[in-house]
Amino acid sequence: MSEVQSSAAVPQTTGQVVAGRSLVKRFSSVTVLHGVEIEFTPGKIHTLMGENGAGKSTLFKVLAGIHQPDGGAIEVGGVPTVLRTPRAAQAQGIYLVPQEPALLGELSVYENMSLGHLPTSGRFPHRVDWRRTRSEAQAVLDTLGLSLAPMMKAKDLSIAQQQLVECAKALLRGCRTILFDEPTSPLTVREVDFLFGVMDRLRTEGYTLGFISHRMDEVLQISDEISVLRDGRLVETLQRPDFDRKRLVDQMVGREVVVSRRRTPTLGPAEPVAPVLEVTRLCSEPAFRDVSFTVRPGEVLGLAGLVGAGRTEIAEAIFGVRAKSGGVALKGRDISGSSVQEIIRQGLVYVPEDRAKHGAILPMSLAQNISSGSLGSVRHRFGYLDLAAERRVAEELIGRFGVRAYSPDQPIRTLSGGNQQKVVLAKWMNTHPSVAILDEPTRGVDVGAKEEIYELIEGLAREGLAVVVISSDLEELIRLSDRVLALYEGDVVAELSGDDITADRVGRAFLGNHEQGAPVHRASA
Amino acid sequence: MPLSGPPHVPARAGRDWRALLESREAILIAATVLVTLIAGLLNHDFLAVSNLRFMVLNSVVLGLVALGQTLVIITKGIDLSVAPVLGLAAVVSGLLATRQGLPLWGAVLLVLALGAVLGLINGALVSSISIPPIIVTLGTYSLYGGLIFLYSGGDQVNSVPDSYAHFGNGVLAPWFPVPIPILVLLVIMLAVWFLLAHLPFGRNILAIGNNPAAAHHAGVPVKHTLTSAYIITGMLAALAGLIYVCYTGSATATTGTGDHFELQSIATVLIGGTAVAGGRGSVFGTVLGSTFLSVILTALVFLHVPAIWYSAGEGLMILIAVTSNSLRRTATPGRSA
Amino acid sequence: MTRALRETPVTARRRPRVGGWELALVVLLLAQLLFFSLAVSGFYDGVSGLLNVTTNFLPFGLVALGLVPVILTGGIDLSVGSIAGFSAVLMAVLWKHFGLSLGVAVPLALLAGGLLGALNGLLITRTRTEPLIITLATSFVFTSVTTAMAGAEPPSGFPDSFNALGTGALGGVPYQLILFAVLAVVISLLITRTRFGRSVVMVGYNRDATRYSGIDVDRTVLGVYVISGLMAALAGVVLAAYYSAVRSDMGDILLLTALTMVVLGGVNIFGGEGSVLGAVLAVLILGFLRQGLLIAGFSDMVTTMVTGAILLIAITAKNLLAGGGFVARLQARFARPVPPAPSPPENAMK
Repeated sequence: MSEVQSSAAVPQTTGQVVAGRSLVKRFSSVTVLHGVEIEFTPGKIHTLMGENGAGKSTLFKVLAGIHQPDGGAIEVGGVPTVLRTPRAAQAQGIYLVPQEPALLGELSVYENMSLGHLPTSGRFPHRVDWRRTRSEAQAVLDTLGLSLAPMMKAKDLSIAQQQLVECAKALLRGCRTILFDEPTSPLTVREVDFLFGVMDRLRTEGYTLGFISHRMDEVLQISDEISVLRDGRLVETLQRPDFDRKRLVDQMVGREVVVSRRRTPTLGPAEPVAPVLEVTRLCSEPAFRDVSFTVRPGEVLGLAGLVGAGRTEIAEAIFGVRAKSGGVALKGRDISGSSVQEIIRQGLVYVPEDRAKHGAILPMSLAQNISSGSLGSVRHRFGYLDLAAERRVAEELIGRFGVRAYSPDQPIRTLSGGNQQKVVLAKWMNTHPSVAILDEPTRGVDVGAKEEIYELIEGLAREGLAVVVISSDLEELIRLSDRVLALYEGDVVAELSGDDITADRVGRAFLGNHEQGAPVHRASA
Repeated sequence: MPLSGPPHVPARAGRDWRALLESREAILIAATVLVTLIAGLLNHDFLAVSNLRFMVLNSVVLGLVALGQTLVIITKGIDLSVAPVLGLAAVVSGLLATRQGLPLWGAVLLVLALGAVLGLINGALVSSISIPPIIVTLGTYSLYGGLIFLYSGGDQVNSVPDSYAHFGNGVLAPWFPVPIPILVLLVIMLAVWFLLAHLPFGRNILAIGNNPAAAHHAGVPVKHTLTSAYIITGMLAALAGLIYVCYTGSATATTGTGDHFELQSIATVLIGGTAVAGGRGSVFGTVLGSTFLSVILTALVFLHVPAIWYSAGEGLMILIAVTSNSLRRTATPGRSA
Repeated sequence: MTRALRETPVTARRRPRVGGWELALVVLLLAQLLFFSLAVSGFYDGVSGLLNVTTNFLPFGLVALGLVPVILTGGIDLSVGSIAGFSAVLMAVLWKHFGLSLGVAVPLALLAGGLLGALNGLLITRTRTEPLIITLATSFVFTSVTTAMAGAEPPSGFPDSFNALGTGALGGVPYQLILFAVLAVVISLLITRTRFGRSVVMVGYNRDATRYSGIDVDRTVLGVYVISGLMAALAGVVLAAYYSAVRSDMGDILLLTALTMVVLGGVNIFGGEGSVLGAVLAVLILGFLRQGLLIAGFSDMVTTMVTGAILLIAITAKNLLAGGGFVARLQARFARPVPPAPSPPENAMK
């Protein structure tokens, strides 16, 4: 396999060791990386594992120059180096294949690859040398074994292809350290195999490779070293001979949490209370299919699974913002065709995963956010908004939910993640629902606030609220759930209840190693 | 290897988009021809060479302005100030020609410089101060509009020297009976096309319109490129103004703004197939669009359709052009991550 | 669980209603009035004189008021000028050629404006197309129809009782001003004190989050364009009263000035941020500016220039002080919805 010479960037003939020394990274008040020490070696695939929020993606972004560390240093080839921009990192040979490929949709594949330094012919007017662009790009693509129609636009590529084009970009720029940020989540089995073939070849050629994945099988298959991150700290690194599935899961979850506090369920398993939410054969291809479950008042149902398993899509479908087929009944009433407004009125609410995008309106005040789901409740009898009542309600809820804030008028974006989440919870509880679907309720929340939110949720369940908790956090699921439904790639693969809900069982279920009878249906090409 | 051969998304999807853009140009050509034939059938004078020539000539001014607007819209921007720039160039060059005897070549240089400076102001405000283009050009629309009056003091241009009139109406040589303005438009159209298709600068413009952050990360000089796009637009609008005054032999303080060249140019660009969302555009489409509009307008005149309906026709065409875009968009399966 | 709320009684604390920008505008307005009163003879003719001056520019203000909700949702309405012309001509034609009394013709004209606005709103929400394009197109169409309606000789010479709307006064306060003030208060209350108004602001800040809160975004969007159409129609009627005549192109000049007023007033072109108060102040500033310059002997064009310059200077100042990259905002505005992915906390601001 021949070397790929690029038109720009410093050609590297040997891969370098890229290391992070005591890396610290903060976003506002939340520390995401606590002094991480890690090394990526040429000729090896070093995989990061850990739950969502553990800091894996952030670590890669710091190493690739996208984020600046707040502490510690990056070493390239043993030399401490500052990487202020992604271009600086690329000049050092480090390239990040992002989780969401950032290609220019309307431009061709070849052009995307050479973006920023299109080769030009010497004479004025220095027109773009398309032939060279194409041939250089084609050479790299051939190296990768990726065959595409010549002038395809980037937006017409599948996700798998886009990722590989990103990888090709790295090669074209002569980067010999390539970090893959969770590339396999949206891919099919065949596509994963192809990607691994590429990574294997790169490894043989001495590239330094980093990889993030949740899927145990894949990780064990491809990695040379595995590092586990938990809560922003590197807890362990294992080398190939020492790979141990159980050990990895334990480290991801955290030993001390194994016997975590499990809430005492409000209802005994056999109590004949009618379910308040009934989901029947819910289907929304390609995200999920044939999902059925029920939830009773006071019960907490956990939906376990990885990003891409389809859990958020299920929630969105139930909540009415996503098209689907199948039945959803709330307190016996069919809401499968209802509008969002109607569903809220009937008593089902959804606290979204992405707080900034869907959950809260960041520039608006706490009071405004709290009332946003139930504007009717703060209406004066003459029809206008009773702003004083709005603030009163807000103050009461702020107190009840333990939100640390100066005033109900301050913009919600000035609060910490944990407090923001409490406000969003308060907003929905203000509608007095019967069912609440909470999607990653402690995403971006620091440890202290996490506990408070768990207590809030448990309190609400005790008061009779039926709760569905979607989480990728094992500890959280174990802590909160009476029952756990595990999803994998859009199918329900396991249902656990009572004492079956252990870290081991749940962890294995959604990490791809399941044992219950439900057939694994992997989306095929 | 599993991924060789046709891509996962059916090739149809890729070809559909190319087809759409291609077919927009094709539709415009077909529509133009169709309208010409139908109008010609109903009124034989329509097909007279003099009329055909007139229709194309008539479209040159709008076409030039729209070419610049195309660049700006591709970057997800907009330029409302093209109208007063056009007017300013027309008045300044016209007055200097009649009063000071400014030679034609001097006028060309002057208006290009003028347009460049005015465009530079736009570009600097958009790229360096990060003010949304619609606001910047809203402000410069008023600013430049006032400049016209300030300069002319209410004077109008009522006639232009012969050299100018020749430039606006004449031909280069008797054996090559293509009016000069049409040649200018063709040359510039090719130049802009070349710029977009084959020069890194043009590719950068497209890149910025697609994904400014990604472009920036990849090393595209976003600020410089944006500023330059507005400079070019200003220059083209100014050149259009010179041609206008040479062609019509007159210019007033409301030239440009009175005919709403800014809105017309945007309409032309949209009809030509460029999307307001940016990231892609068709130079040929824009020019075909301006020709099409000119033909339709003239056809309406020949068919004695009351002038009042011209505007409505234009509006309807924009709606059709744009809604057919969105209809096709929803029909083709989108790529989901 | 500890809490750190200040224990002050609810009624005692007032939310700061007037922001920094509005304050700056107040200062600018006062400074301007002072300057013109001293420097330009004939400008200040007693309070009633000053009030009377407003009749020259308040129609722009009416349009601006109608544009505020539209821009708050992050949209724009380029057809306001043509709707104003349409309504004015319709009213005149109904009165002259159909013999309807103005008491009937005027409401019908207003209704028409609202309907045209609804048409805009429906096209925007149903075709999911940018408001810029839709209203650009409809402005062309409405203009044509208006010209057709107006005919060769548009009606003129309305009864004095009607003209009073444009030129008359009540106790020294022009009717136009009363109308404008009342509507400013109404629209301000609409935005700050009604569910609809709250939805408008929410949609402008974050469309998706608004949808996830159970609010009908399409209905909100439809509503703001209806309001814009109504106000444009009203502006047209007032102009007709002022001139006691109509012309098919009388609304042409309204759009850009009104838009300038709204933007100068601090309303964010991307939506969410802004107040009616700011817009009102901007109306007064730009309106008196124009009149002051005219009285001082400068031409209309100079005024236009100065208006443009003020807009640019003001926005430049605002941006330099506030910071925030255009690329980032551009990205945020046009980014397609991304499937959920682990993101750094509190990182994704508009």
